[in-house]
Amino acid sequence: MIPINHFLVLSTILFSLGMYGVLARRSAVLIIMSIELMLQAVSINFIAFAVYLSPGEFRGLIFAIFVITIAAAEVGLALAIILRIFRNKATANVDEVDIMRW
Amino acid sequence: MGMDDVWLIPAIPAAAFAILLLVGKYLPRRGDWLAIGAIAASFVIFFPVLIDLLDKVDAPDFAGGGRGWDWVSFDDFRLRLGFHVDQLAIVMLAVVSFVALMVQVYSVGYMRGDPRYGWYFTAMSLFAASMLTLVLADNLLLLYAAWEGVGFCSYLLIGFWHERRSAAEAAKKAFITTRIGDVGFLIGIILLWREAGTFDISEIFHFAEEGGYSAEYLTMAVLFLFAGAAGKSAQFPLHVWLPDAMEGPTPVSALIHAATMVVAGVYMVARMFPLFELADPVALNVVTALGLTTVIMSATMGLAASDIKRVIAYSTINSLGLMMVALGSGSVTAALLYLFAHGFFKALLFLGAGSVIHATERQEVADLGGLASKMPVTAAVFAIGTLSMAGIVPLAGFWAKDEILNVSGDHQNWGVYALMMLSVFITALYMTRLYVRTFTGRPRDHHAHEHAHDAEPVMTVPLLLLAALTLVAGFVAFDGVGEALGFPGGFGKFVFFEEPEAFHFPWDVAIISTIAALAGITVGVYAWSGEARPARRAAEALRPAYLTLANKYYMDDLYQWVINRVVLTAGAVIAWFDRNVVNDTAVDGSAGLGVFSGFQMKFLETGKLPNYALGISLGVIVIAIVFMVVRV
Repeated sequence: MIPINHFLVLSTILFSLGMYGVLARRSAVLIIMSIELMLQAVSINFIAFAVYLSPGEFRGLIFAIFVITIAAAEVGLALAIILRIFRNKATANVDEVDIMRW
Repeated sequence: MGMDDVWLIPAIPAAAFAILLLVGKYLPRRGDWLAIGAIAASFVIFFPVLIDLLDKVDAPDFAGGGRGWDWVSFDDFRLRLGFHVDQLAIVMLAVVSFVALMVQVYSVGYMRGDPRYGWYFTAMSLFAASMLTLVLADNLLLLYAAWEGVGFCSYLLIGFWHERRSAAEAAKKAFITTRIGDVGFLIGIILLWREAGTFDISEIFHFAEEGGYSAEYLTMAVLFLFAGAAGKSAQFPLHVWLPDAMEGPTPVSALIHAATMVVAGVYMVARMFPLFELADPVALNVVTALGLTTVIMSATMGLAASDIKRVIAYSTINSLGLMMVALGSGSVTAALLYLFAHGFFKALLFLGAGSVIHATERQEVADLGGLASKMPVTAAVFAIGTLSMAGIVPLAGFWAKDEILNVSGDHQNWGVYALMMLSVFITALYMTRLYVRTFTGRPRDHHAHEHAHDAEPVMTVPLLLLAALTLVAGFVAFDGVGEALGFPGGFGKFVFFEEPEAFHFPWDVAIISTIAALAGITVGVYAWSGEARPARRAAEALRPAYLTLANKYYMDDLYQWVINRVVLTAGAVIAWFDRNVVNDTAVDGSAGLGVFSGFQMKFLETGKLPNYALGISLGVIVIAIVFMVVRV
């Protein structure tokens, strides 16, 4: 059986990639995709722990399903917002969208 | 109906006050009938209470009756809203409810056409409710609340015509001066409570009788209580407010500043008398000394006062001093008999003066004169009041004053007794002066004299009723009269401290006091009748003395000097501290710090998404590191 460390390392790499994407990208669409990466890293963690620590129970798996559901809903909402911004400002660059400041 | 329902007596005027305050201006006649009806109802309820009390008073350990409710109730702290009636309270109830009724009826005529007619009766109802609560309260805290209530009503009614600057000033002066005494009263109450753990008056007596208080402690406590009484009852050195209080409408002076509120101090001392008796004799000596000082000062000031109401005000202070001397001599009976009689004849004098002022619109004695022919009824009842105040047999004032002279002769030294006799002479003198200058001689202001006439029946009927009581009220001192009315005997067998006192009448005291009073009247008539030449010569010859009296012993000036120099200087220092340290530095400073830091920190809000994302990420990392460090 593959040791749990492999899964954890994988999820850490995925999470770090996602975090880098969120911080480094300027396109709103790419930022959302990076967030998806982070969410899936968390899902992997949940499933790995669920299988290794309490086999036969579903708690961790159910959490993973919840994460996927919420990720889908969140993408729907976020894309709608990005579309509105694009309509109004003809750009999806988050640096140029800073009207909510002091 | 009986003693259990005594709470209705203050409750009815209180309800009338509430109604008048809320909807008074929509009522016909601005609701004066409601105020008068309420006090009349209280007066009617007084009788079944009295009958019930007389039924039970013969029981061996009768200590009054009443009813109370829990007002505040914590674990071991209970405060009752209790109404209690005993012999002392019933005498006071009789005076308060009857005089209040008479004065309110009289006011219908006196205050007619006043723009604040409705408000006048509203305030009078509140006063009646507070005063009756004060009389009936069975614990010191309720007593204190009612005590402040009457003081507040006094403030409202002295300043009733507050457009006049002098009235507003007088109201303020009365309130502040009595407040000075009230602070002492409150300290006294707290001292009594601290040891006994209760505000209930009878429980405090019980505690004191079992030796719960040390003698020095109790002496201090009762002296603080007496400070409150001195403020309310205008005793030296807090008497200065009462003459100025005459700025209020005259019926107010009759009710509040003669018959009821100002005797509250005497009543309070009488009610707390067991404590005064248990305390060091110093306490009662202080009461006597201040009472006697008040008597002599007020009587002499009455000689020089120029305003008809002020003269009567000085006579009130004089009477209050006499009652305090009676208490200081250990006789609750004498003090309460005088209080009872005084309530009627002093209200009569004030309402008589009110009729004169109403008819002539003058109140300086110098502008009056010769009114007897124009106002025969007023002149007659005023003469009765004057003679009663002077102490001429058989009027109420005579019996009451003689009782006080008796006890001061029995219990005090000759100096006190002699000064009391001197005060009888001076009292007769200035009361005669007032009567002679107002009602006899030639009119000095013809315009005012032309229009003068006796007032309408709504004003004269209360005068006549009060005059009738002034004629007969003194006879309650006799045992036979008391028994005929269903009382256990004369006044001394009904209201007493420790032992009932049978009526006794030492002829020597009566004869000396009558001679003193007649001498005062004779000298007064000689000095002030006609053009008052002898009096004027005397004033010229004794100019410094006259000026001292006319300037009220310079006490007002002394107080004004103290206020200007000491109080206002201290106030300026405190105001500077408040403005610069408390306000500018502490309050404005901390607010300014908030504004400044808020202004600086708002630039963190860049509105750029990556900045926020970076902040969140760094925050998570910091928290993660902290957790790891703390865990490991």
